[in-house]
Amino acid sequence: MSFLKRLTAKEFVVLAEMHTPKGVDISRLVNDGRRLKGRVDAVLVPDMDNGIMRLSALAGGVLLQQQGLEAIIAVYCRDKNRMALQGDLLAAHVLGVQNLIVVPSADMAQSDHRDAKPVFDLDEAGLLNAIATLQEGKDLGSADLDGRPFFNTGCALASLADGAPFDEALEAVKAQLAAGATFVITPPVFDVQACAGPLKKLGELGVPIIAAVFLIKSVAVARYLARNDAGAHVSDALIQRIKKAADRESEAVKIAAEIVQALGSVTQGVLLQTHGWEHRLPAILDMAGL
Amino acid sequence: MITAERKPLEEIVESVASFDRILLVGCNECVTVCAAGGRKEVGLLASALNMTFLKGGKSVQITEHTLERQCDPEYVEELSQLVGGADAILSMACGAGVQELARRYKDKPVLPALNTMFMGASERAGVWSERCAGCGNCVLGITGGICPIARCSKRIMNGPCGGSTNGKCEISDDVDCAWHLIWERLKALGQTDLYEVNMDAKDWRPAGGAGPRTIVREDLAE
Repeated sequence: MSFLKRLTAKEFVVLAEMHTPKGVDISRLVNDGRRLKGRVDAVLVPDMDNGIMRLSALAGGVLLQQQGLEAIIAVYCRDKNRMALQGDLLAAHVLGVQNLIVVPSADMAQSDHRDAKPVFDLDEAGLLNAIATLQEGKDLGSADLDGRPFFNTGCALASLADGAPFDEALEAVKAQLAAGATFVITPPVFDVQACAGPLKKLGELGVPIIAAVFLIKSVAVARYLARNDAGAHVSDALIQRIKKAADRESEAVKIAAEIVQALGSVTQGVLLQTHGWEHRLPAILDMAGL
Repeated sequence: MITAERKPLEEIVESVASFDRILLVGCNECVTVCAAGGRKEVGLLASALNMTFLKGGKSVQITEHTLERQCDPEYVEELSQLVGGADAILSMACGAGVQELARRYKDKPVLPALNTMFMGASERAGVWSERCAGCGNCVLGITGGICPIARCSKRIMNGPCGGSTNGKCEISDDVDCAWHLIWERLKALGQTDLYEVNMDAKDWRPAGGAGPRTIVREDLAE
């Protein structure tokens, strides 16, 4: 069953994030992708995630679809104007990639091309509007399209941090749902109980909510998240658990699997984020019983 | 100078329609020179607003005041005695002036009466054109004193693009090709060797690519 059909049927979906290479050696992407065939409902391919120049998400998505996976590609506004965005959306459709996730962009100042010129011709709501317009058979210049594309488009919640950050993020998501998004992916959840309030409010939106589950690869990463991301709710107990583990890599996989299981009854899906450890995705799936 | 144009009267009227007491503030600097928001324009707009509201059966109190510089906190302070008697401030300065008023008088709505346009110069009476894009890394020394970023339609650093005809840009016969101007000027200066300088891909950080810009002069900062 396709990703869209599972979403529509309110089935639990399992997604895995797969980064494209910074270069043209696609062997790892393809091999890691093959290992996931039949085990996830779709793979999400970020585009220039965190401002790192890489092989485009469209190329990565097409490559993974050639391996028998279904792809969701990220689209964003920092690097392309409305013409380039629309052209690439049409390209995605004809190349068979019909799942999109509209995501915010990292600042160019934090990218690995800091001297580049940020575009931001459209914002996320404008991009969603462009996607909707293309689906109606028009472009943003009101010209008719020769054949209309179809997309299944999601949006990203910016923060799970209680209070103003979540409230603002929720309002932004509502605006993006009104502009055409049909599902929402959250930032990483590390403590399902601590995030219960925001997740409940998200559930009330009436659209599929997919929670990200981030593989904590080291104590340093855990500490960084605890210090810098209030919405992460990375507790001291979690940090100590990783620190004391005899095999920290296996413990990280175990923690991710536990979070996936805990989210099973709370959200309509999970997005596994392993950031370079995509080879560990099958292990997380095994441990989570997926 | 920073150039500006007054917004259409209907738009200004709509923006202030819900207020009964308006403080209309001009600026004696750039917008006076480009005849958009100086004392004279403040008077003209006040009259136009009064007439429009009277026609609509509404009486509005408009207080006129023109500051020496609306982007300077020292001069903006002058308004402190007048602001209390107004429901809203209507600014006839550039965006910098509008924001300085909004920063100083936090409890008053501050509305713009102008559209800020560009940094430019007067070509002849009543005509101003763009000259500088404020990119933070000036190349005018290499380009014969003519800016390819502000004056080339494609902002190309190593021109021309090939689309110009008889020194005019392909977008319009009214627009000079900046790279044609650069070439002619370098020829006149005997500096055609500068035309051969291949400029690297531009670093857009000083131009705002890394976010809003600030200048800190340690020798002057308090």
